[in-house]
Amino acid sequence: MARSSLSVVFSGRGGAGAMSAGELLLRAAADLGYYGLMSRLFGAQVRGGEAAALVQISTEPVTCQPDRFDLFVALDWEKVDQFASEIPLDENTVIIADPQSGPTPQSIARSKAKTIPFSMSNADATPLERALQSKYTNVFAAGAVAALTGLPADALQSALSAVLGGKSATVTRANADTLAAGIAAADTLDLDLRLAPPHTAPRWLLTGNQAIAIGALRGGVRFVGCYPITPATDLVEWLSPELQNLGGRLVLAEDELASINMVLGASYGGAPAMTVTSGPGLSLMVESIGLGIAAEIPAVIVNVMRGGPSTGIPSKTEQSDINIAIYGGHGDAPRLVLAPTSVRDCMFTGEWAVYLAESLQTPVIVLSDQTLGQAFTVIDPKPDRPTPLARRTTVPDGPFKRYAIASDPVTPMPRPGTPRGQWVGEGLTHNEIGIPVGGAAAHVAQLDKRARKFAQFDPGPLWGDVWGEGETVILTFGSGIGPAQEAARRVAAAGQPVRIVSLRVLSPLPVAALAHALEGARRIVVMEQNHSAQLYHHLLAHKAIPPSAESFARPGPLPFRPAEIVAHLG
Amino acid sequence: MSNAAIIDAASAEALDPADFHSGATPIWCPGCGDYGVLSALEHALAINGRPPHEVVLVSGIGCSSRLPAYTSCYGFHGVHGRALPFAAGVKLARPDLEVIAVGGDGDGYSIGGNHFIHACRRNLDMLYLVMDNRVYGMTKGQPSPTTEADWDSDIAPGGLGLRPFDPLALAIAGGANFVARGFSGRPQELKDLIVEGLRWPGFAFIDVLSPCMAFRSEEFGWKESVHPVARTIEDDRAAAHAAVLAEDGYSLGVLFKDHRPSLPARYVAQSSLSEIEQQFAVCR
Repeated sequence: MARSSLSVVFSGRGGAGAMSAGELLLRAAADLGYYGLMSRLFGAQVRGGEAAALVQISTEPVTCQPDRFDLFVALDWEKVDQFASEIPLDENTVIIADPQSGPTPQSIARSKAKTIPFSMSNADATPLERALQSKYTNVFAAGAVAALTGLPADALQSALSAVLGGKSATVTRANADTLAAGIAAADTLDLDLRLAPPHTAPRWLLTGNQAIAIGALRGGVRFVGCYPITPATDLVEWLSPELQNLGGRLVLAEDELASINMVLGASYGGAPAMTVTSGPGLSLMVESIGLGIAAEIPAVIVNVMRGGPSTGIPSKTEQSDINIAIYGGHGDAPRLVLAPTSVRDCMFTGEWAVYLAESLQTPVIVLSDQTLGQAFTVIDPKPDRPTPLARRTTVPDGPFKRYAIASDPVTPMPRPGTPRGQWVGEGLTHNEIGIPVGGAAAHVAQLDKRARKFAQFDPGPLWGDVWGEGETVILTFGSGIGPAQEAARRVAAAGQPVRIVSLRVLSPLPVAALAHALEGARRIVVMEQNHSAQLYHHLLAHKAIPPSAESFARPGPLPFRPAEIVAHLG
Repeated sequence: MSNAAIIDAASAEALDPADFHSGATPIWCPGCGDYGVLSALEHALAINGRPPHEVVLVSGIGCSSRLPAYTSCYGFHGVHGRALPFAAGVKLARPDLEVIAVGGDGDGYSIGGNHFIHACRRNLDMLYLVMDNRVYGMTKGQPSPTTEADWDSDIAPGGLGLRPFDPLALAIAGGANFVARGFSGRPQELKDLIVEGLRWPGFAFIDVLSPCMAFRSEEFGWKESVHPVARTIEDDRAAAHAAVLAEDGYSLGVLFKDHRPSLPARYVAQSSLSEIEQQFAVCR
């Protein structure tokens, strides 16, 4: 019987092409109308470390990693011990490996999965051709697996062209031949991997990092200042040429201190601006985020979270920057912290972040993580978009006071070049004109002014989502939402309905909306991926959850999987 | 500034230095060198010809960094050491504006030292004016990167024992297009230097000797030490570097001018966002 989903691992040493193999399979399937998700697992080494592509293909949307994998394709066995424990296999998993790679290592064999020997080179090739083609083992293997799932050869060849991009004609030809050989070799495998027919519709295939970039561009961001940091670098690498195509600019700054200040400067100049970083970079930016708050300058700061503290685990996921995002910095520095609720929502939240920064004249932090950011995912392009909001720039009549205390805490900030609109952005405690003063009255007045911006901010229905029904509630955010929903589906199927309450606005906490969403709950489980239950304590501090609420917090770097959540619910 | 803008400015109504004065009272001590720098800057801006609303002054933290609010221009008084990246952001987003970064030696050469190197290298068309009094004034008298090795202070009794570094040599090595030294006690010459720096394409850096009355009153003796620079070296960065390292630190004028290209001012849009988004489409 044809299956509705298939989970496959392509594994090998860094450089063996596991990621390309995974992308080839996912792209071909996506083009035919399947949903899918590919996560990338790799170590900190640039070359020669371990690498695995974790791929799922399904007739239904995929929003989290699977509990186990159906198929494990070993391109080689080098380095596999370094991450074997992070790839769940069991006695029903099938391992495909070339006998030339040697025996299945104990770290993999102890799963009791069955190994099927499979020669991953073209049997008809001459020894010379075989030597030349050995570096295309990944394409051979991907072709064989894809053929077994029922994907047609022409779809695979066209996906291969997309994966290879602008490689030379020689390389392209050799890969195409190897792919054809791999497809032909599928017949030698006694495996039924046939997928049920897909529900076709126009879709997008992209990563969460790309989706946030798209959202920011839709919101009007045309200036980005940044410094390379894993796992945020691929976002800005995609964005840089596209910004140029749009007449904007990405600047590679000398460090994160410069990045955030360039962004504040460009924004002061009138351009919606963004920086993109991960934990250590956010730590460096904290002082200047406070400056942006005090001087009331719009800015979007995307933080793709990774394992911390210090250098932590750069290439792997965690949700442990909640505290620094919401509370990081000296003084009273309230700020907006948003978190996309899925890869698809990265576009929406990214765009909304720009509008909120611009309209409230304040830095907005977007908390993504490596799981969302680097998940290569098939999505239904979201038709709805947030309502555009712009900054106020018109010079009012009469003497201009940039930081005027008025009924509306958001006061006009004219763009430089506007006659009669001159103002000095000020990080010192200042009076209404912007002149530094040290007295209590101005200090309190300006703190009140900025606090009122957040007190009056009403996200309406965009605060988050309620999914499902039940007296048991999982309250979570970001990359926790997908696996929580999948767990809830299973538990509900077993007769116990579970409600998922997910937050898009982490700060200021939408306390009233949460109270409504939690009505009737008998058990509340706050689920997050860090060691110290940062979200749980944030919610408790604001009395957004009752003291009886439970914390389900565990650190990264492994993503949440549905079975783990089902087990926790008990 | 483009040629077109110069012609516009020439045909515009003449500006007066007072047009650039905000009227706010400086916090500076009586006799501070920074008063002379402010006055020279206002005179230079009047000559430069762009009205106050087309000028942005950016600063960090310290006595001299208070300067933007004393002018009638647009301005930003940010955090310690970060004036240059902020100013770069303004200039990159708004190449049409006249952007000037100002600050002190601690702000620019110590906490902001990395940005100084990269601002020179980036070579954006802007002016950086450092009021160098060779001391941290606002925190009441600690040695800065340009302070003499034997200068006695509470925090470094008997002197820090470190050679001061030469910001002009650093600017030349870093890639700045215009490197000069001024003196607040010679406001006419300083005004001319600022005008020339504003009009020179690329990153123009002027280290202004600006005595601190409160902690380094001996610096008022600088008026006896300063002398005109022997010659301005153009385009030969190696020769300029050698000349700056060999001079006594009191020569006034333009030490080096170059014609390195800057970053392109602006990219022209080639495609629309919806075209770009099509790269993600599957199962069309």
